[in-house]
Amino acid sequence: MTTRIQFTEELARLNHDILTMGTKVEEDLRKALLALKNEDVALAREVKADDELVNALQLKIEDQAAILIATQQPVARDLRELVTVFKVTDNLERAGDHAVHLAKMVIKLAGEPAFRQASRLESMAETGCEMLRGATLAYLNHDTAEARRVAALDDGIDHEHKALVDEVLSLMREKPDQVERAERLIKTAGFLERLGDHVTNICEAVVFMEEGRHVELNE
Amino acid sequence: MDAAMHKFDVENLDLWYGQTQALRKVSLDIEANTITALIGPSGCGKSTFLRVLDRMNDLIDGVRTEGKVLYDGTDIFGEVDVIELRKKVGMVFQKPNPFPMSIYDNIAYGPRVHGIKDRKALDELVERSLANAALLDEVKDKLHKPALGLSGGQQQRLCIARVLAVEPDVLLMDEPTSALDPVSTAKIETLLDELKRRYTIVIVTHNMQQAGRVSDRTGFFLHGELIEYAATKDIFFNPKDERTENYISGRFG
Repeated sequence: MTTRIQFTEELARLNHDILTMGTKVEEDLRKALLALKNEDVALAREVKADDELVNALQLKIEDQAAILIATQQPVARDLRELVTVFKVTDNLERAGDHAVHLAKMVIKLAGEPAFRQASRLESMAETGCEMLRGATLAYLNHDTAEARRVAALDDGIDHEHKALVDEVLSLMREKPDQVERAERLIKTAGFLERLGDHVTNICEAVVFMEEGRHVELNE
Repeated sequence: MDAAMHKFDVENLDLWYGQTQALRKVSLDIEANTITALIGPSGCGKSTFLRVLDRMNDLIDGVRTEGKVLYDGTDIFGEVDVIELRKKVGMVFQKPNPFPMSIYDNIAYGPRVHGIKDRKALDELVERSLANAALLDEVKDKLHKPALGLSGGQQQRLCIARVLAVEPDVLLMDEPTSALDPVSTAKIETLLDELKRRYTIVIVTHNMQQAGRVSDRTGFFLHGELIEYAATKDIFFNPKDERTENYISGRFG
């Protein structure tokens, strides 16, 4: 049936773009992480610049998905897959924003090593990278087991987040003159914590796509 | 659901055309004042099933049925008046088939056959039937003009009005819009939504989107079997059977 072949081809093209978008966001988070480790302001600026690419990809993918819905009138699993496309791109775009937030912090706090708490932020970003890759692949491979595994990783991010906040709060008590920087640090950690939540949303969308029901992963 | 609220209860229905089995152990219930869509590839048994409900298959030689079909709790293969059954369970066909007579006489034909002679009563019945089929406004000034002068969409609504004129309880429709343009199709679909308040409607359609738009429940037939029967929203968003999924997604059929 020609329309079915056409639909499959268009969907494959669209999923290729989602792979590109997922990879791009993961790469941005990794760059931000490296920038943090190496105090590499130039690399951090690259991440900021990449954000536009990610946003453009989101719009392109969503337009393609809307056109597929309008022209092919998909139903059942096909329709759930296209509905999931919007959830995946929306959450990837937000995750990309949070990678940018980390990059901005690197730029703002350049030359202030004393108050970095780098190891905890690095650990959060590292887990974030793994989650982004896993969730993108879980979507592309229709793999709910992988989606569930990835969502469970969010506990690690939450744990690091809580520990970091506790540590920074006590540092603030010790060095009240550093409050502004500390506040930025807590905020950035908060953004990475949200990144984990967005990737978890993608994992939930993958389960919805495959099983047709809404689940809360990692409440 | 209480069986008393079902318009039809079908249990283990088998049907053969000679040696060929066309329906296999079909069981389903149809609730009153709902629209049920029957879908499936050509030859799957959906139209045969539709014709069971008003015993139209009786007109075909060599048809044999087994199983139970209850209409308002009464077995239609038992002691029933088939003429009375077909009056209560009306059929609208794929192609509009008005009689070669005036619009008025097309509608009045059935009631006259059933013994209504009074002119005023007939006038009222014709007007009411046309209004209920959403056609009156378009034809009220030309009731005595030939029905064949109407457009295809108007002719199909005329055929619906003709069925309504004998005051049925159930409307069976076999691809009622497949010969119509999108505007006429939309009018009929809007009409169906109105009509289900007063009638129980069963519609066979090859148009998936139509089944999705108009029906409350959908049954998917394949090789004479009812594969899946569920709320339309479930069939089109999250079907349980792989074969349903494949058919509605255009993977075969």
